[in-house]
Amino acid sequence: MPEYRAVGRPTPRVEGVGKVTGRTVYTADMDLPGMLHAKLLRSPHAHARIRHIDTARAAALEGVEAVVTAANLPPLGLDPKRAASIRTYCLLAAEEAVFAGQPVAAVVARDLATAEEAADLIEVEYEELPAVLDPLEAMQEDAPLVRTESRGGGGAEGKAAEDRPTNIASQMRFTRGDLEQGFAEADLVVERTYRTPVVHQGYLEPHSTVVDYDAASGEVTVYTATQGQFYVRDEIARILQLPQTKVRVVGLELGGGFGGKTFLYQGLCAVLAFIVRRPVKLVLTRSEDLTSATPAPQAVFDLKTGMKRDGTITALQARAVYDGGAFPGAMMAIGCIMLGGYYRCPNLEIQGFEVLTNKVSVGAYRAPAVPSATFAIDSQMDIMARELGLDPLEVRLRNAVQEGDLLPGDRPYPRIGLRQCLEQVRDSALWRQRDQMEREVGPRCRGVGVAAGGWLGGLQPAAASVSLNGDGTINVLVGANDITGTNTSFAQITAEELAVPVSHVHVTTGDTSTAPFAGMTGGSKTLFTLGLAVKAAAEQAQRQILDTAAQRLEVSVEDLECADGVVRARSDPEKSITFGRLASITTGFGAAFPPVLGRGAIAARKQAPGFSVQAAEVEVDSETGQVRVLRYVTAQDVGFAVNPLSVEGQMEGATVQGIGMGLCEEMVYDDQGRLLNPGLLDYRMPTAADVPNIESLIVEVPSEDGPYGARGVGEPPVTPGSAAIANAVHDAIGVRITEIPITPERILRAMGKVKD
Amino acid sequence: MSKLSLSLRVNGEPYELEVEPHRTLLEVVRDDLRLAGAKEGCGTGDCGACSMIVDGRLVTSCLLLAVEADGADVVTIEGLARDGKLHPIQQAFLDQGAVQCGFCTPGMILAAKCLLDQNPHPSEEEVRHAIAGNLCRCTGYTKIVQAIAAAAEGPA
Repeated sequence: MPEYRAVGRPTPRVEGVGKVTGRTVYTADMDLPGMLHAKLLRSPHAHARIRHIDTARAAALEGVEAVVTAANLPPLGLDPKRAASIRTYCLLAAEEAVFAGQPVAAVVARDLATAEEAADLIEVEYEELPAVLDPLEAMQEDAPLVRTESRGGGGAEGKAAEDRPTNIASQMRFTRGDLEQGFAEADLVVERTYRTPVVHQGYLEPHSTVVDYDAASGEVTVYTATQGQFYVRDEIARILQLPQTKVRVVGLELGGGFGGKTFLYQGLCAVLAFIVRRPVKLVLTRSEDLTSATPAPQAVFDLKTGMKRDGTITALQARAVYDGGAFPGAMMAIGCIMLGGYYRCPNLEIQGFEVLTNKVSVGAYRAPAVPSATFAIDSQMDIMARELGLDPLEVRLRNAVQEGDLLPGDRPYPRIGLRQCLEQVRDSALWRQRDQMEREVGPRCRGVGVAAGGWLGGLQPAAASVSLNGDGTINVLVGANDITGTNTSFAQITAEELAVPVSHVHVTTGDTSTAPFAGMTGGSKTLFTLGLAVKAAAEQAQRQILDTAAQRLEVSVEDLECADGVVRARSDPEKSITFGRLASITTGFGAAFPPVLGRGAIAARKQAPGFSVQAAEVEVDSETGQVRVLRYVTAQDVGFAVNPLSVEGQMEGATVQGIGMGLCEEMVYDDQGRLLNPGLLDYRMPTAADVPNIESLIVEVPSEDGPYGARGVGEPPVTPGSAAIANAVHDAIGVRITEIPITPERILRAMGKVKD
Repeated sequence: MSKLSLSLRVNGEPYELEVEPHRTLLEVVRDDLRLAGAKEGCGTGDCGACSMIVDGRLVTSCLLLAVEADGADVVTIEGLARDGKLHPIQQAFLDQGAVQCGFCTPGMILAAKCLLDQNPHPSEEEVRHAIAGNLCRCTGYTKIVQAIAAAAEGPA
């Protein structure tokens, strides 16, 4: 492996000082002159016709500037048919509310307390309609429709729409080989159903947006917490029917996103600012965020699998049903692919359905649709291994995909590191010592479980620029909102290419009017794609620096080398020029050489799938059903760790989110479709006291296309956690839990200690 | 609405304020004193992003009415760095990679300070217990616990 000086070294985050001192500005900290505050009134019903809205009392309250309903929205660039099927285009419910929490009206007032008071004064007359909440019920032909006037469009496989209305939004199928023969060859066939609940991304900063509309110039400026500022710009320009030159989106520092913060309420906030012609701030409360953002879908998986006595998988048949909520958004395709994507399987059939229900519509959450699918398939693998008396890790190694193996859909894998991750965990102390631990202490039983998961990785074109400052330091300009420390990695990449210290590089995330394009920060693709663009820009800047230096020093470019901000001739070290001097002769009044400005732009290339293998040691109290995670190891193939400190941070953070899915996180709805736990006391995320130190094992199997061989990092390690926990619980108490989270109640029920 | 008078020391600075009785300490510090380092993550005292040290105790300032803090000595995240030099806990959070999105960071650092002020050499379990009221969704806590341990060991 080449010697690197900047990449590959643990590097503190470049924007960290502002965060530890509290000076970093988040969207809710914004305060513009003349700014007003918005509050939304939301439907209390999962499904209801809106008969009448009386806004008179609200509008009359002192300090209220506007009360807005679907009836008095200005003309917008939204096709009403599309608006009915796309959550973010349905700004306010018109005739019908389709989930409890859907915005029905908005108040804009001089302060938040007035806006809240006015919202309470709006009178809405609802006529409740039959609601359908369970995705399996919603699939039935006689199920009530999620919205009276629409159809899901996915009633027939492969067809856009069918005449008969349905709640099925879409469906898909992967097949390979001969399923019947596959099951005939098996020595063991296992059939199980797995269930996973709606879970929330749990970012600590609720959705927030401030929009300033300048009526005189027709310009809109949007300050918002988003992972994709260019996407926000495109959508707001579409909604307000403005050219994109009139919409500037400033993606501020993001208080966590995890897929949940792209474009949701920014459109409505922009329309409100357009109406009142003043800046408007909209910050959701935690309760609103839990009730009406875009959590991850509930899902049900029916699996039937066959295995030979030696542990070879012969067949996989699966039906995955993802509950989209009231609008599609479950991204089930990738879930279905990964369901059959970890282990070689000659015969398979995977069917996927996205079904609409009268619950909040779902969206991306870190490796969308994959953690739940992984819980299903990796619980199933464990069951089969144990029933055949085989080592569960060795069974995974026997079947694990590697380069050339086919994904569902029959694309071959490029070079990947799933096997290497399995081997790392196999060699870990936690796994090796599992037979030596004391398995029972009083009512407390200990067990160890393993699971594997992964993510194929996103792709999108991206561009960046690198320029030389007057003192020889370096500026980098990108357009991607940094959520995982990518700007720190870009500084390292630039420092590496230009042979300067990381401290000489400053990375700026520009806004949509100043920055070169970058796709949404999601899909674990920012370093993988934009990192390449930064590298290309730095390389180009380096060539310009060398060209100018060669002319100035009157030597050949080939003779020059760069180190610590000095360009020197190898043949004559006396001949040298500093970056600072180069800056002067490329920027000064009357300077003879052009400024250094490197540009890097890349197209989408080949995906670089990343895998994570995790092992958990748990202790289950067989009297209370309480599960404690005692030790945890998480291995991941990251290709090349540009910043090991950030990489470990991603691995540890995602792992704990996976543990949360496994043990405590669930959005619970009553039989009327109302969320019962809209707060962080009852929507329980892991605290520091709930988890142990996470041991990270970084595996580096270089990708073909990523910078220095890097792969996407953020998503793979959230995928296997719940299965690892379920498998460890089984190892501890011999009971299989097929529905997460694995609460004390579910454990005691499964042990037969609690009856209905 | 009639206002009540309120005297506070915040980060050593005295303030005389007139505030509505329903406003929380978090609102007054953020909106009136313009110290925006404390964050509102939940408004119900469950996440700890609004943590401040009030008379030596860690409080969720979203649950404390400002007038209840009358006469109190309040420390916010803005009060830790001195003369442009980071507090050792702040430095440790940076160095150890304990900072990701940063939204929990001010409250988490104050929770750590409160702990180390009372218990300069805590065990891992004591650290985890002390910050259990401060949610972090990004880090999984491992590096935060390591940072607090490093700050406890390092030169103060």
